[in-house]
Amino acid sequence: MPPKRMTANQDRSHRYYPGKVEYAEDALSSDSENSDAEASSAHQPAKPTLPKATSFPKDARLAANLSKIDLDARRAQAAAQEAERLKREADARAKEEEEFVTDDDNDEEDGSGREQESGSEEEEEEQEESTSSEDDVPKRRMPAPKFISKTNRKQCSVPVFSEEELAAQEDARRKERADEMLQLQLEKQAAAKAAGKKDWDDDEEGLADEVDDADDVDPEEERALWKIRELLRIKRDRDAIESAEKEREEIERRRNLSKEERDAEDREYIDTQKEEHEGKGKMGHMQKYFHRGAYTFDADDETKQLLNRDIMGSRFQDDARDKSMLPSALQIRDMTKIGKKGRTRYRDMKSEDTGRWGDLGVRDRRKDGEYKLDERFRSDGDAERAGGTGANAYAVGERRKRVDDSRDGRRDDKRPNLHYVYYDPA
Amino acid sequence: MAHAADAKKALDSRGYTGSLIRGDNPLKLFEKPVRDRIIESYYWKEQCFGLNAATLLDRAIELTFIGGTYGVSQRPTPFLCLAFKMLQLTPDKEVILFYLQQEEFKYLRALAAFYIRLAWEKDAEVYETLEPYLADSRKLRRRTREGWTLTHVDEFVDDLLIKGRICATTLPKLNPRVMLEDEDKLEPRISALGEELEELDADDDGSEGEVVEVANGHANGNGHPEEDGDNDADMDAD
Repeated sequence: MPPKRMTANQDRSHRYYPGKVEYAEDALSSDSENSDAEASSAHQPAKPTLPKATSFPKDARLAANLSKIDLDARRAQAAAQEAERLKREADARAKEEEEFVTDDDNDEEDGSGREQESGSEEEEEEQEESTSSEDDVPKRRMPAPKFISKTNRKQCSVPVFSEEELAAQEDARRKERADEMLQLQLEKQAAAKAAGKKDWDDDEEGLADEVDDADDVDPEEERALWKIRELLRIKRDRDAIESAEKEREEIERRRNLSKEERDAEDREYIDTQKEEHEGKGKMGHMQKYFHRGAYTFDADDETKQLLNRDIMGSRFQDDARDKSMLPSALQIRDMTKIGKKGRTRYRDMKSEDTGRWGDLGVRDRRKDGEYKLDERFRSDGDAERAGGTGANAYAVGERRKRVDDSRDGRRDDKRPNLHYVYYDPA
Repeated sequence: MAHAADAKKALDSRGYTGSLIRGDNPLKLFEKPVRDRIIESYYWKEQCFGLNAATLLDRAIELTFIGGTYGVSQRPTPFLCLAFKMLQLTPDKEVILFYLQQEEFKYLRALAAFYIRLAWEKDAEVYETLEPYLADSRKLRRRTREGWTLTHVDEFVDDLLIKGRICATTLPKLNPRVMLEDEDKLEPRISALGEELEELDADDDGSEGEVVEVANGHANGNGHPEEDGDNDADMDAD
């Protein structure tokens, strides 16, 4: 017995996986509760045992009906059907041959019709429970036998077909039937397509039905809706005219004012603007700045209100108003950065600034107390101590004149005067 | 020339010798991506080949919806393809007016209106021709990028006159009606409501007639609230 998997590798999985079909050697499991599984497994002994479906509905009626099925009877029936079919085909063949011979007269007219007739008669008897077969060979009426003498018999050609030819003929017939079926199906499809809407490769035509463009469904309502639309259009036009008019009036008016009045109005306007700005919440100390974002567009009124809301002064959860109360580690602008590695210790510019800005008229008085210190620790001083520091702090006194030092006294010494030095190159 | 097997010549920008709209190839009124989609679509290839004004009429009659491009792949609607074909053919004015005046086929009318808005260069003519159809309140089915909506002929015409972009095309610039009225090229629009409008104006001074939303069910035409019997203030007066 060849290995099941045709491989030298070992069978790896002996585990249980839910839903996995276990291929047992003996397929007929007798301890199956499910009669359906039993039926199918008995029916096809080569197939593996089906998994036990414990969730199969244990409907009493269903179970009862299932148990009524007598499989042997069905098998016998199937076999009988098969035998009959074979017999019928043999008969049909025989009849064709006969009819070729016996009926020269009727062959042309009724031959095909009769073939079909007799075939279907036999079919109907057998078609009790099975679905209708695709062979539409209708009834065949037996023609009256006509005697042919020996001489005539030999003359008429009996188309004796050999085995292969018979098989070939059968195949040809089967193909014809298949072609007919296919043709029918294609025609049906074409008809359905033609009858339906003309889709230009569109699968979603069904959705078009949601929107119904049938007119005169309710004339009153439609007229009313149209009126509303028309009135809105008129209103829109009128509003446009009015606003244009107002603008023009405003321009005229301003022109007619004198310059001072214009300035007064401008100042008023700016003041009102400022108030609005101030009325908005101020940023607290070290408050995070939430910007709306650059890519906003004004849509309907709701969104406009949302966009124009002022969030800078408002509090949110865990927001500390006064961050100076917090420990210095928590005094940062963006509280979300607490505990994160990327946080910088930067607080704000003012605290990081090392420059000195502002009036420096006030100097520090450190130098006033320096006189108490030892000399060594006093500051260097500025321009006061221009002379020197440290060892240079004291002025050097005048040097006492020494006789050795004067150049003229040296002439009188015992030492020779070495001003002239003769050098003899030899 | 419009019936060449592949209409490359008409779509080629060089050496175009047909009629011009606004000084350029009429097909240029559609943008390049949209043009490409139309030419590659099956509807164009199967149905719009070799059409003339009469056969285009046949196709237009079979339209069932308007729209520009739809779907992820920007497929053009048959409406758009036929409009493109009309631009290719540039039929005469009489033909277009005939299309527009067909009462029976509203999609044909929509197509003609679309063409007029695109192709005609004189603004006053466009307004005069299209404004009567602001009275046509029939329903139109419209295919948008995501799905289907219902619109009406008058809404569509209004969009053509007001909006800048419709049905996947940028409409050529049209001077606003106000400007034309100031230049005395047009009369102010006479609405189809006509007399009813005057009546409405006479009745309501402040409110807008039918457009008032009934808030709490008590709104009269004059806006007075419902008056009760006693005022609260009277109860305490002794």
